[in-house]
Amino acid sequence: MANGFFTDTTLCIGCKACEVACKQWNQLPDDGYHFTGMSYDNTMALGSSTWRHVSFIERPAPIGDADTGGLAWLMASDVCKHCARAGCLENCPTGAIIRTEFGSVYVQPDVCNGCGYCVSGCPFGVIDRNHEDGRAWKCTLCYDRQKDGMQPACAKACPTASIQFGEINDLRHRARERVDKLHELGVKEAYLYGEDAASQPGTEGLNAFFLLLDKPEVYNLPPHPEVPTHKGKKSWISAGLAAIGVTALAFASVMLGNSARE
Amino acid sequence: MTEQNSRGSGPKSIGFLTGDTDDGRNIDTTLGTLSGEAASQATLATKHDVVLHSKAFPYVPSSQSQASPSYYNQPLLKQPVWIWSIPAYFYVGGVAGVGATLGAAAQLMAPKSMRSLVIRSRWVAIIGGVISSGLLIHDLGRPARFLNMLRVFRVSSPMSMGSWILSAFSSAAGAAALAPFGPKLLQPLGEAAGVLAGLFGLGLSGYTGVLISQTAVPVWQESYRTNPILFLASGAAAAGSFFEFFRLNARESHAVERFALMGKFLEFAALLVLQAEARRVSRVARPLEEGFSGFLWRAAKLAIIAGIAVSVLPGKSRAKSVVSGVLGSAASLFVRFGVFYAGKASARDPRASFEQQRQLSGRPR
Ligand code: SF4
Ligand code: SF4
Repeated sequence: MANGFFTDTTLCIGCKACEVACKQWNQLPDDGYHFTGMSYDNTMALGSSTWRHVSFIERPAPIGDADTGGLAWLMASDVCKHCARAGCLENCPTGAIIRTEFGSVYVQPDVCNGCGYCVSGCPFGVIDRNHEDGRAWKCTLCYDRQKDGMQPACAKACPTASIQFGEINDLRHRARERVDKLHELGVKEAYLYGEDAASQPGTEGLNAFFLLLDKPEVYNLPPHPEVPTHKGKKSWISAGLAAIGVTALAFASVMLGNSARE
Repeated sequence: MTEQNSRGSGPKSIGFLTGDTDDGRNIDTTLGTLSGEAASQATLATKHDVVLHSKAFPYVPSSQSQASPSYYNQPLLKQPVWIWSIPAYFYVGGVAGVGATLGAAAQLMAPKSMRSLVIRSRWVAIIGGVISSGLLIHDLGRPARFLNMLRVFRVSSPMSMGSWILSAFSSAAGAAALAPFGPKLLQPLGEAAGVLAGLFGLGLSGYTGVLISQTAVPVWQESYRTNPILFLASGAAAAGSFFEFFRLNARESHAVERFALMGKFLEFAALLVLQAEARRVSRVARPLEEGFSGFLWRAAKLAIIAGIAVSVLPGKSRAKSVVSGVLGSAASLFVRFGVFYAGKASARDPRASFEQQRQLSGRPR
């Protein structure tokens, strides 16, 4: 069984209840209070103490064929994607990052030694090391709540069902119906991002996927993310060849040197 | 205020509840317990300064109408959190690792005439191995937990493989270096350990190239084929250059010079190939051309060329060896730090990832 999120950004009203619920339930500290001027987004990005982040995009283009005065305000609540092939998990050398019984990707704080390799392994820039704490942190998909049969705090708090929690196949089904519905309503640009392996082969699908209205880049999402392990595998082959080459260099140098006159 | 005061003299919380924590959590500990998933996370003593790009945007930052949109120019990726000790380790591991390989070759091909080179390479290997561990532990967020590195054997993680390689390398190099002080019976074991150190040394100098390839950082992953080749070649040049500082016999110094020179040629070639690879996506190659990392990259090229020029000068002298050694070592350091800081800069540029992925999706691979 794998649980996940379906975040339908067309329903998001930018209330940030998810951000607050996450902070409160997980007892995350605040990040200071900044004013960024980036629309209503003063959170800026996901990080070690920010596990939900609502982005605000002021866009000079209408949604669908609705008359919005040529403007549209897109809002989207971002979160760890709990990738089927998770770069953070595959990079972690200590085994701190595990796949839980709920199909989510979980960092065990009592094991992590803060090497930071997961941070560079995530193609979405999600997980981060807290410099004060020394360990890597990210969304746990409310592992503790799920163990007690509850849904994650953000999904519970979301007043518009923009964040939906559930079994991943069930969510996919719901999401596809929603896209069809939106297309019917004239919002032709609606599409799903990362809903399964076919749509995002690089990660083999996201357990937390999205319904978007614009290019992924607009939401600060990568257009074609790929688990870095693919590159690593091929890189080992180069390393092997180079090792043979350097060995040959070493033997050749010794032979050359040995034949030199004293 | 309660004892839950991990932020020290931080700003006071809202404080309308009696037992409010002062650590940014605002939890009334008379009503609730600190038992959430992140309750143990230490909080920032000082809030880091936020770079505000905002003052006034000349354009609406994200829109369909833009050819290359981004989210307020915010980075897509997190910058690698590693500090200077990581590229320093790339260099030290390169010298120790490939040095052990050269020593093992000498041990097998010229055990008598190059004995002092063999012995020295073993000491360079074990001392380098110990320094390497120190540099790596220094970078950890929780240094006391460094042994967790050997908690699992995870083939998918180059860092896990590297930890095992470094441990095996250091053990073999230590055994080889200490064997001559032991009883005669142990000598064959010492020789075997020398060869093993030479083998693990190749892994030690090469895996770091794989390590940076297996990241989401655009410039590092774009050159995944060349990274380990550059790192091993740079290791060969650096090891050869380091041995040039030693007073060795004529045969040994001849071998070391050849090795350093060939290493430098290979290093230079790999440097050019890596840059050409990165240039397939112009935005990805930028950090190799601009800024601090671009400066280091150019310095590396100059130092290699200068090193080669000195090496091919006719004649033999101590001064020549030392100058060539200095140039070769500097070049390898420039290479490691250049690649490292290029990665940091690359991760800060969201469009590097976007353009790379947009172009790649149409490119067979
Ligand atoms: S989004 Fe990043 S942090 Fe989350 S599971 Fe995927 S790789 Fe890991
Ligand atoms: S920082 Fe922690 S969780 Fe991340 S890779 Fe290192 S040990 Fe694993």
